[in-house]
Amino acid sequence: RSRLTDRFWRVQEVLKYARHFRGRKNRCYKLAVRSVRRAFVKSTKARRQKKRFLRALWITRIEAASLEHGLKYPAFISNLLKSQVELNRKMLADLAIYEPKTFKSLAALAQRRRQEGFLAALGDGKEPEGIFSRIVHHY
Amino acid sequence: VAKTSLTSPPWPEVKLPDPGEEAKHHAEVVQKVNRMIAAGQYGRLFAVVHFASKQWKVTSEDLIMMDNILEAECGDRIRMEKVLLVGADDFTLVGRPLLGKELVRVEATVIEKTESWPKINMRFWKRHNYQRKNIIRNPQTVLRINTIEIFPCLS
Repeated sequence: RSRLTDRFWRVQEVLKYARHFRGRKNRCYKLAVRSVRRAFVKSTKARRQKKRFLRALWITRIEAASLEHGLKYPAFISNLLKSQVELNRKMLADLAIYEPKTFKSLAALAQRRRQEGFLAALGDGKEPEGIFSRIVHHY
Repeated sequence: VAKTSLTSPPWPEVKLPDPGEEAKHHAEVVQKVNRMIAAGQYGRLFAVVHFASKQWKVTSEDLIMMDNILEAECGDRIRMEKVLLVGADDFTLVGRPLLGKELVRVEATVIEKTESWPKINMRFWKRHNYQRKNIIRNPQTVLRINTIEIFPCLS
């Protein structure tokens, strides 16, 4: 008659992943199977979400650092991109932590580009042709 | 024209410095940095390199691990060409977007080509008797950055 001889090792294969769990899930096979399955599924989904979380973290850090230099995050990023500096958010966050002088110079660059953009948007400062302005008084 | 809420823009008016004087100031700064590089008055250099579709902040004697295969044998010297930023303590050179190849030289050696730890991909639908378990091992390469060199050819 055929009997299962390696039941111990089959059970250990699952329990080895549950050794650091809390309660009876780390000892009893029936409970451990369910917990280990959920743990694997959660870890696969988390691998995709980790990228989202890290990007949000970098953005928060860059925002904090640029506010220290008097710029808001959208202004900083958009002006850096317009000046053709293609550092991604991970690098900007690392530079803000470990190279404060470099980050200050990047913030100054973005500020200067912002002011140049405002000047370009103003144009000549003359009125367009064929339009007259007058103030309407309501009585 | 009478002053309304729309006559002046909502941002504060800023005057940019004179372009001629600015150009002189820029040239002075460039000369100073060139002299500093030529004299070798910098400590440790760091660089931001674009490699394997990721950006890395790199110094010398650094280890880098990437999640893919490189077509180079172990022990090969590699020169990384897409350098975005180079900095030392007193100055930084920011590329728009890349710095020139005659300015910077980043050398690295391939140390190790291994596989990652076995990652487990599991899919499970409850009450449908559906579960799939897949163990995946990614190839990895480890590089050590040997040197970062800059040359005084700014203009």
